[in-house]
Amino acid sequence: MAASEHIVGRGIGNKLILFTVVLVAVIWMLPIAWTLLLSFKPNSELMISTASAFRAPYTLKNYTDIFQSSGVFRWLWNSAVVSVGVTVGILVLSSLAGYGFARAEFKGRDIIFVLVLLGLAVPEQAVIIARHQMFSDLKMHNTYPAIILPGLSSAFGVFLMTQYFKAIPKDIDEAAMLDNASRFKIFWKVLLPLTIPAQATLGIFSFLGAWNDYLWPLISATKPEMFTITVGIASTQTNFAQSEGLGFLMAQAIFAGLPVFVVYLFFQKYIVRAVAGAAIS
Amino acid sequence: MRKLTTALLAGLVVTAGASAALAADKTEISAARFFGACEADYGTVTDVTKANGECGIITALINKFNADSKTTVVKPEIVEWPGYDQLTARIRSGEPPTISVMHEAVISDYSSRGLLEPLDEDFAKAGVDVNDMTDAARQGVTKDGKIYAMPFDTHTWLWHINMNLFKQAGLVDSAGKPILPKSTDELMKQAQQFKDKTGKPYFISTLANETAFYTRTFDTLLYQQNADFFADPNKVNFSSPEAKNAAQLLADIFAKDYTTKNQDYAASVSSFAAGDGGVFICGTWLIDTYDQEAKKEGAALSKGYAATAFPQIYPGSPRVWADGHSWVLLKQDLSEAQRASAIEFMKFLWDNNYEWSRTGHLPVRKSIIDSDAFKNLPHRGDIASLAVNGTALPSAVKRQFSIQEIEGEEVGSAMRGDKPVDQALTDAETRVNELLANAK
Amino acid sequence: MTDVTLSPGKAVAAVKRPTGASIGPRWSNALFVAPYLVFYVVLLVYPLFKGIWMSMLESDMFDNTSKFAGLANYHRLFNDKIFIGTVWNTVWFVVMTVPVFVAIGLLLALALNSSDRTAAALRAIFFGTSVLSVTIVTIIWKMMYMPGNGAIASIFKLFGLQPVAFITSSSLALVAIAICTIWWIIGLPMMLFLAALQQIPGELYEAAALDNASRWRSFWSITLPSIKRTLLVVVIYEIVAQFQLFGQAQLLTQGGPNNASRPIVQFIYEQGFRSWNLGYAAAASEILFLIMAVAALAQFFVSRKRVEE
Repeated sequence: MAASEHIVGRGIGNKLILFTVVLVAVIWMLPIAWTLLLSFKPNSELMISTASAFRAPYTLKNYTDIFQSSGVFRWLWNSAVVSVGVTVGILVLSSLAGYGFARAEFKGRDIIFVLVLLGLAVPEQAVIIARHQMFSDLKMHNTYPAIILPGLSSAFGVFLMTQYFKAIPKDIDEAAMLDNASRFKIFWKVLLPLTIPAQATLGIFSFLGAWNDYLWPLISATKPEMFTITVGIASTQTNFAQSEGLGFLMAQAIFAGLPVFVVYLFFQKYIVRAVAGAAIS
Repeated sequence: MRKLTTALLAGLVVTAGASAALAADKTEISAARFFGACEADYGTVTDVTKANGECGIITALINKFNADSKTTVVKPEIVEWPGYDQLTARIRSGEPPTISVMHEAVISDYSSRGLLEPLDEDFAKAGVDVNDMTDAARQGVTKDGKIYAMPFDTHTWLWHINMNLFKQAGLVDSAGKPILPKSTDELMKQAQQFKDKTGKPYFISTLANETAFYTRTFDTLLYQQNADFFADPNKVNFSSPEAKNAAQLLADIFAKDYTTKNQDYAASVSSFAAGDGGVFICGTWLIDTYDQEAKKEGAALSKGYAATAFPQIYPGSPRVWADGHSWVLLKQDLSEAQRASAIEFMKFLWDNNYEWSRTGHLPVRKSIIDSDAFKNLPHRGDIASLAVNGTALPSAVKRQFSIQEIEGEEVGSAMRGDKPVDQALTDAETRVNELLANAK
Repeated sequence: MTDVTLSPGKAVAAVKRPTGASIGPRWSNALFVAPYLVFYVVLLVYPLFKGIWMSMLESDMFDNTSKFAGLANYHRLFNDKIFIGTVWNTVWFVVMTVPVFVAIGLLLALALNSSDRTAAALRAIFFGTSVLSVTIVTIIWKMMYMPGNGAIASIFKLFGLQPVAFITSSSLALVAIAICTIWWIIGLPMMLFLAALQQIPGELYEAAALDNASRWRSFWSITLPSIKRTLLVVVIYEIVAQFQLFGQAQLLTQGGPNNASRPIVQFIYEQGFRSWNLGYAAAASEILFLIMAVAALAQFFVSRKRVEE
């Protein structure tokens, strides 16, 4: 924590930086503000001109309408299930593998690690055609596992966790080894708690990656009741909707973004604390 | 807050209602469709005459069907327009919807692979008189001699006109009709005159984000010159002088600022309503919307909206691009009951085809086109010729959606000046032929 | 990537043979990596090879008579101007966005690396956009970019400037997508850098302050070296992520105008699910894989060298 005060804590320069960042933040907010404004306007007025957003009347109808259009809640739920599933899966698999690659030696480990690293260069989208065929042949599309499982094969988490485990000084677990603890116990009790900052970071990455994924759900979740929020909104967001139901679309956009944003606000405190409290180095 | 609670409760009631209906032993079928989502406004409307617009009318139609049918529940599944990528993925996954909306242009891709059920016998049994289908509709749904879909509408390309601006530009005759160009020269002259008098572009066009405008207008201009660009269904010909004329005309219109630029669909739709230009070349489905707008006091279109068939500016023929929406039954393990339910729903849509034609689309039944009810709808007299002149690509041409996509991209490049006209046409031809050569 | 410290305890441990965990190699240790490897092999390696096989077939989505075509699909790809265009578009997009992600992400992290409320609020703003789905982001930005009644056009007009046609100009479309993408997910690199910055011991800066080192100097000699691992992670992550551009292009410009913004993934998607050319789509996938492999590995080895120096 002390670090920060030293970077930013220097008089005029400090103020200048703050001013710039606030300015950028305002610009950053513009699109959201615009969306918010549009979401409170009747659709019929927006159809003629979006400039009408700057004058009354405003309405809450677009938001109440969301509750009547059955899809959004189901899609949010699907997205939540998928994103949590992917996140938990990645954290578990990557932590185990990260520890394995960083600490637990076995024959051929280094070669396997390099092979996994090569996986970093395999973009998910490059195997999407083959994957779609696989899941089709297994008749697994339109299920949660079909949307979740492919995300678990990503090598990024393993790479990240291996890096973190390697950064932990070896004397910590070696001391535990002297106490005759088993490998798994050392991993679970001694090292894993030290990686919480990495877990938090990887968790955010994975969650958002899954939450925002578009292509795979687009071709795997093709039944409306299995749509994720991304695909679901796309389904109602045709050109026609943009001309005839712009306000509603904007309200949907705001509404669909809210849950995760709230989760983030909660998470932000946690991650700062987690990162600050970590005893690395 | 009270409103919110009411809405929530209403949602619960609807859900409960739906499950109650299921419990009553009705057969459920799924119907995939685009046209947007509007449950909020029409979720409980069963009186179709009270609904407006594509989304409203189809939603109300399905509601009414579900309320009336003793045997069937239709579960609407709303997909992204046009939705074929997802439909493809869905069919491949082995779980297609029972029925789906499909453009007539794409039916042959699916029917030729055995993905659709032929419907001739079912229609005969259900009492659908296929002889009442308009020629366009019947041709549209017939592939290799079999009927593969229930036609829903024929939609074409036409001119929406802002009469208030036309008056200002001196382009209205003594009878109050818009003065329209009869040749390309007249078109350019009138566009210039319009621009001089009103300070606004003659055309409003959807030039951004989608290729529909380019393809449909370009095809129309080719038809008008009697250019048979698909003489061989496996090979397109865009190297004709006619193709060059058409593309050059579009490029000139763009270069001389006779059109709005950079507008996407939504922007151009609202731009016309806001009175930013004289002519909006777009589809039949907007007639109703703009007609409502013309009834408003103080609106840019107030008492000044007309719709007219695409004026013939080449001496060849008055033909115009057309396509149709239709409903297909997807091949899958269907029970007798499901199949019967699907046909029951299609028959219902056939019976209520007039309601759908209120969107602005042309009906698919001769008896409706000839009916007074239809003729009395606004502007329908001016566009009735479209039912005859509407022309689709020959049904033997495969991958029509992809072709239109490619064609539109390249014609767009030519029009906006991103590429020389010749280059764009050559590229379009090469790309389409490449596609067809590899299409099974 | 060598370990940070060599502990003096190692020698001791080697002498004493514990009955619990041991330091030497053991087969049971492979159990840690086995669960992941199952997923890796089944869902990444297998589809990769299946894809390579498919790329050598002439096959149609709904036609079971696919036949071996050797390298015909690749031959066709290299002569396909559209495909070549998508390759350039994608590479150009990566070149445009990755440095910006790193630079802005790091700058924001430096500026907002503080525990006060203002910083937290600002972090929430910059991170907040990442929670929006790509569908929503693209609607929002369409509203921004549209000439005529878009927000940016209105601002331009306010200052008497001619509105710029972002998404319909073939030279600006990809830039427009880049801007929208950076706006959307700048939060991730910022977060990663923040996490790294917080791990730098404050004493280092205190020492620098005693030496009266300038802000720039302490950044260069303390901050940067301390976060080089993270820098590497961010760069690799962003390269991988941005090479897979799809949703923004598909939804914002549909690859247009004149194919100026069509990325490789969109090409794959369209060939596979629109034209039903599975073999051709698979071949394009393999090219994407090759390009990324070269880019990521080159980056990896270069940075690795630097990190280890």
